[in-house]
Amino acid sequence: MATTTATITLESADLLTDVLSLSTTATLTKAGTSTGLTVTSGLGRKKTGGTSQYILFDGDAYANGAHKVYLKNTSTTSAQYFTIEINSEQMGKLYAGDWCLFPWEANADTNDIKIQPSAADMVLEYMLFIDE
Amino acid sequence: MATTTASLSLVSSDLFDDSLSISTSNQLNKAGTVTGLDQTTGLNKIYLTATTNVDIITVPGATMDGKKSHVYISNESTDETEYIVVSIGDKVIGRLYAGDFLWMPWNQQAQHLSDIEIAPSVATGIFVEYMIIHDGIVLTSSADS
Repeated sequence: MATTTATITLESADLLTDVLSLSTTATLTKAGTSTGLTVTSGLGRKKTGGTSQYILFDGDAYANGAHKVYLKNTSTTSAQYFTIEINSEQMGKLYAGDWCLFPWEANADTNDIKIQPSAADMVLEYMLFIDE
Repeated sequence: MATTTASLSLVSSDLFDDSLSISTSNQLNKAGTVTGLDQTTGLNKIYLTATTNVDIITVPGATMDGKKSHVYISNESTDETEYIVVSIGDKVIGRLYAGDFLWMPWNQQAQHLSDIEIAPSVATGIFVEYMIIHDGIVLTSSADS
């Protein structure tokens, strides 16, 4: 087994009157166990040629499990975003510099994770931690 | 405007032969701008004692479609078998097991289809923390009867 940790830190001195300083660490484990995830897509980058919607991860290609997905929009143009869709429902838009980390169940072939860039030639960084 | 940063560190010394060390940080801005998000639900902590699917935030209409939001959810359970199912509307994203968190963008695209919902795996009680940093949400109108 491997030990992989994810730490998120949210900080602001002026969002609220009180200082925001939240930090949480999770160890990425298989569903319902303390066994670490051992399989990954590796850290990849995808340059999108056009503004079409792409299937980034195919729900049919993975067993149901406690997968984790990391995505980052590497653009530095603030107006550029990727629309993230999961299971045919829009999750949200990942603007320039934004990242996300979320669990993915992949329990059916309809559970694809799809991305659609707002402009041509944008680059998405991604990594899938696979529960198998 | 406010300045809020979200940072992530992904680290492993034994997932690969090579070590994994991803570190990224970004400022949370309004859609398509460099103006910081200035609204938040604050950090909520709730204790759920039923396996019922519940909204942690509801979208009563599509008037905020296109406004940028970020969502943080953490399962505070310490029992590794316990999880919460996280959905957008009726579409499941995945399961957050004990100690897991998520950080994701969120668009209030459609009435109720964009609601963020969670369902615990057990009725014995799970603490869940969540926070939304946003550019506007619609509060539910008052009803006294």
